[in-house]
Amino acid sequence: MSRVVRAAVFQTAWTGDKESMIQVHEQAARDAAAQGAQVLCFQELFYGPYFCQVQDKAFYEYAEQIPEGPIVRRFQALAKELGIVLVLPMYEEEQPGVLYNTAAVIDADGSYLGKYRKTHIPQVEGFWEKFYFRPGNSGWPVFDTAVGKIGVYICYDRHFPEGWRALGLAGAEIVFNPSATSRGLSGYLWQLEQPASAVANEYFVGAINRVGVEELGSNDFYGTSYFVDPEAQFVGEVASDKETELVVRDLDMAKLREVRDRWQFYRDRAPGAYEPLTAP
Amino acid sequence: MPTASEPALSVRQVLGLERVLAGEPEVVAGASQLDRPVRWVHVAEAADVGVMLSGGEMVLTTGVLLAGDVEAQAEYIRSLHRAEAAAVVLGLGRAFPATPDVMRRAAERCGLPMVVLHRPFPFAELTEEVQSRLVQRKFAAVSLSEAVRTALTGLITAGAPLQRLLDEVAGHSACPVVVTNLAHRVLATAGERSAVDDVLRDWERIARQAGGSEGDGWVRAELGGRGERWGRIVLCGYRGDGATGRLLADRAAEALVLHRMLGGPAPSWEEQSAQGLLTDLVSGVVPARQLLPRARAAGLPVNRRTFVPLVVRDGEPAQLDRVLRLLGMPGLVAELADGATAVLLSLARDQDAEALATHFATRWRTESGEHKTVVAAADPRTVWDDVPAGLREAQHVADAVATTPTELDLPVVVRLRDVHLRGLIRLLRDDPHVQSFAERELDGLLCGDGTAEQELLPVLRTYLATGRNKSRTAQLHHVSRPALYRRLEAIEARLGVDLDDFEQAASVHIALLAHDAQQG
Repeated sequence: MSRVVRAAVFQTAWTGDKESMIQVHEQAARDAAAQGAQVLCFQELFYGPYFCQVQDKAFYEYAEQIPEGPIVRRFQALAKELGIVLVLPMYEEEQPGVLYNTAAVIDADGSYLGKYRKTHIPQVEGFWEKFYFRPGNSGWPVFDTAVGKIGVYICYDRHFPEGWRALGLAGAEIVFNPSATSRGLSGYLWQLEQPASAVANEYFVGAINRVGVEELGSNDFYGTSYFVDPEAQFVGEVASDKETELVVRDLDMAKLREVRDRWQFYRDRAPGAYEPLTAP
Repeated sequence: MPTASEPALSVRQVLGLERVLAGEPEVVAGASQLDRPVRWVHVAEAADVGVMLSGGEMVLTTGVLLAGDVEAQAEYIRSLHRAEAAAVVLGLGRAFPATPDVMRRAAERCGLPMVVLHRPFPFAELTEEVQSRLVQRKFAAVSLSEAVRTALTGLITAGAPLQRLLDEVAGHSACPVVVTNLAHRVLATAGERSAVDDVLRDWERIARQAGGSEGDGWVRAELGGRGERWGRIVLCGYRGDGATGRLLADRAAEALVLHRMLGGPAPSWEEQSAQGLLTDLVSGVVPARQLLPRARAAGLPVNRRTFVPLVVRDGEPAQLDRVLRLLGMPGLVAELADGATAVLLSLARDQDAEALATHFATRWRTESGEHKTVVAAADPRTVWDDVPAGLREAQHVADAVATTPTELDLPVVVRLRDVHLRGLIRLLRDDPHVQSFAERELDGLLCGDGTAEQELLPVLRTYLATGRNKSRTAQLHHVSRPALYRRLEAIEARLGVDLDDFEQAASVHIALLAHDAQQG
């Protein structure tokens, strides 16, 4: 009997304030659990607007300590109550002035497993992230959760194949890619890069993007969150490009072994020849 | 190069013309490029012919100005290649008694088809023949384009539905026509039913194939406007030539975009697609099995699933659909002919169908603010063939609920077992025996001056529905107990029954349910 993981991602629009945004996500966790979902990942910087459309230090307030801060605590209790693994993309303050774009991973019993800090930080029109975040220094952690080995690769990270591969080498079975990306800019990449990475690294990918236009700028976040399997097939439908949507899909882990038995990418890679890639 | 929508002959087709065959043509280079379109035929002896071309020409020459100059010969070929000429045809004769090797090699290197004529003939004969064929084709394309455009515009201005437009396109294309949204979800189809079903059977795989070459007769055109793409139309397996297929697809796409822009607040194509499918399922006219490919193509998971048919009265389809998305439940939503809205949930086998139906109904109440509305459900079905009966069962429950006094507490999700006798009466409401029974039993209240019907019937209804609970009835009607007693006495007198007698009360109750079912 193969192992099937019922996994979920949630895309939504900015509600206008942090507390109601948190409540929307709490409800989504309950809805996912009601359907028997075992793991759920939210969108990038889930409880805020995508404030990187502007450069304003007022938004530093959205950062909090991980795991000591109140949001992680709140969702640890919820994860325990619902018995669901939660991936929480947040704004992290390590200490004043040291801020990261981070995802915290909570196990199904509510315990805090660790965090991944976004490694690649963009600085382009509408995505002024260097103003807000230090580049991550967490390496490529893979979390051994109640439902399997999970990695996180945040938004702009996805354009760099190296991190995807590092997560695969560390044993990831599902990699979540929480994002905030806008129509026109990345539309042609959105259904290309993550499926290609799922194929190259032979695991499942859950891609999440927020929806709607927010008051801070003209970025039109186009949702269309999805799960894709190691053969680049979408698992079920791709979500709406405009509306809030919970995506719950059954991921059959037998597929991972089947594809890896067919294509031995991990056996045939040639790390000895890759030295130029790591030259500074 | 000519655009794909411009009809053209291929190099191969030109070489196959009778007049050309008589010249004993031999392809000496670029044999793999013979399907290139020829837009025009051009006779040119000038060495710098390249600068006079605009692409897609078949250039005819005797090479009289090139003989003896090897460098000029190679450059001649390269300049044709740069100008994107379709092919070069060299008439052998005085200038070149045999194929010049330099030209042949240069042509082979840049992939330019080079043809020599062993028995040259006056080039004017060839240009005349090819030109007139090209003009004829162009004229045919223009008139087809015009005919299709006129027909589609006529349909749009007459307010024809999407399906009518697609039928018209399918009439011209003689192959299945499919409209999808960007997620490849099928919104509408046209063409011969069995051919369409064949296409839809494997739709998921076919639709996602990257690129989508047109070589196999699959012609796609994007649908969009105001800078946003929202779908595509696909001619599936068009058997005519590529240019005509492209032209048809482009005309169809223009018409569909116009149709959608002028559509105003009409139901979206997604809604119309779900509506067609659920209506066909409920009606039973088409066997469920035959509708399976359509359901799958519409995005409903159908393999190893549990189907939960629900019917909601006064439900806004768009809002119900939104709630499905919020909860991450796969399902179809559509308004049925009687104004009720059907929701067909598709759940994994291990999921608790009853609990999730309740979860959905509860959330819908919250989102819609309709705190009293109930959702009628049929028992879950694990076999697709049973889904139509399930939908009808849910409809039937919804009908039965519609006549239940709203004061009574009903669960959020009502099933057949919750509507009891009311459900049975609803089923029998058209039976003349039942109708005359109801008339007979209630005659004393119905044949009056109207006041009895207005005042006494509701009291009787509540009294019976509450299980003859007098204090609850008085409370619900905001009257004192003595006032209620007086009304009950009046009812008993008019009907000539004793409501304390169980059988008489039951008889009146059944008659009243039958009466109400008639009204509903």
